[in-house]
Amino acid sequence: MNNKVMQWMEEKFMPIAGRIGSQRHLVAIRDGFIMIMPLIIVGSLAVLINNFPSDAFQNFMIYLFGDQWKNVGGNVWNGSFAILGLLAAASISYRLAKSYDVDGLPAALVTVASLIILTPVTKDWGISYEWTGAQGLFVAVIMSLVVTELFRMLMKSKFTITMPEGVPEGVVKSFKALLPAMIILILVGFLQALLTALGNTSLHQIVFESIQKPLQSLSNSLPTAIIIAFLNHLLWFFGLHGTNIIEPFMESMYLPLIEKNQSLFAAGMSAFDVPYIVTKPFFDSYVYIGGSGATLALLLAIFIAVKSAQYRSIAKLSAPAGLFNINEPVLFGLPIVLNPVMLIPFILVPIVLTITSYFALSLGIVPKTVAMIPWSTPPFISGYLVSGGSWMGVLLQIVNFAIATLLYLPFIKTADLAQMKQNKVA
Amino acid sequence: MKIILVCSAGMSTSMLVQKMRKAAQEKGLSATIDATSEAELGNHLDHTNVILIGPQVRYLAPKIKSKAEPHGIKVDIINSMYYGTMNGDKVLEQAQGLLEG
Repeated sequence: MNNKVMQWMEEKFMPIAGRIGSQRHLVAIRDGFIMIMPLIIVGSLAVLINNFPSDAFQNFMIYLFGDQWKNVGGNVWNGSFAILGLLAAASISYRLAKSYDVDGLPAALVTVASLIILTPVTKDWGISYEWTGAQGLFVAVIMSLVVTELFRMLMKSKFTITMPEGVPEGVVKSFKALLPAMIILILVGFLQALLTALGNTSLHQIVFESIQKPLQSLSNSLPTAIIIAFLNHLLWFFGLHGTNIIEPFMESMYLPLIEKNQSLFAAGMSAFDVPYIVTKPFFDSYVYIGGSGATLALLLAIFIAVKSAQYRSIAKLSAPAGLFNINEPVLFGLPIVLNPVMLIPFILVPIVLTITSYFALSLGIVPKTVAMIPWSTPPFISGYLVSGGSWMGVLLQIVNFAIATLLYLPFIKTADLAQMKQNKVA
Repeated sequence: MKIILVCSAGMSTSMLVQKMRKAAQEKGLSATIDATSEAELGNHLDHTNVILIGPQVRYLAPKIKSKAEPHGIKVDIINSMYYGTMNGDKVLEQAQGLLEG
């Protein structure tokens, strides 16, 4: 690669990526999602167990616990994935407030209260589950940022009640948040009243129809998936944590898609028939095999074809963590980062895998993803789980793994020869 | 001496932590070494002397510095080659160098 281009990237593009990666609101969104991930995964596993595609298992569970055994998993899902928006709003707000050194809990409470005000009410006076989950995620994220910003400004302004000295701190704190909370809730209440009066609609409805829905169909396309794979690996090539930097966008755009797949799967639809192909588990399980760049395949290529002791020792060092999709040792140790020989395969392999996986799913050869599992779940196990318990998911991972290994082979061989030559000269 | 390593999830740095602990033990150095995610860093500032940042999240350095340096904590980015080869010895030296320098 041209040195000038590399230099330009390092000097101009990377600082921008860095600023995105450390931007306060985006960091709050990312960390907020990370905080609720355990709940999401628990909810997801509950659905997976409920719909495990094995008659023996299903019969066994009915025999053991009776016909109603699935209620447990359903209840767990109601308290996790189904209120994804509420959970995200609370935790993003908490994180954002903390970043300003403002008390996180009152901020989160006011945010949740505001979100509930904006959430449609069912005929028998219930909060509509339709909007507490992924369908309401955009509004949840936007509101958590807006409300928390308002809250922090008000907390630091004169609109707080100050207590005389000697009043216990707990009391002082609860009164300090009183006026800001009141102002915000009245504002949001007014907004909802206005929406009701004008068109009997809700912010959720408006945002979902005008922003979230179009973005979702865009997210589910092959070009978008390729752009994501490309960006992630370009960032990693320059030694920046690509997955981390694009995470706030990934979660906001792709969580609703996996939720939709999963809720249909939970309702009894087959994993082949659910609507969305591109999801976060799609990338985690089928593209990032062994971490970004599918580097587990690179390790195998090294074991097959490389003689240089340096590469082999890095590969050995990286293999155990690589099985759990952690690959910083090979990225920085080989290195792949800023190594012109590795640039092409490192970016090419994930793009090829994105394409093969996309077609394997869209042509109905492999079931679509219906489960959210930890990204650190080892490959080949993860393929089975995300596809709703299908061996075809594992098969796709094996095929992708083989393709990646073959693509890496010539490049690592070239790098190896160069390395050996260099050693001889030295 | 208390050293904290930071990366995005605290996972890859935790591998390096084990190597550094071993290196410290061999040197007969009494040091507390831990890994954490950036989000959790705020809870780990007490009694910390050195914060080392994984090279892949080096863009967080200015933010972490502004938080930690007022507490007298030294902050640096881990040398990427030592990071990649998980060289606990060298990274420990880097931390010691910061305290002396």
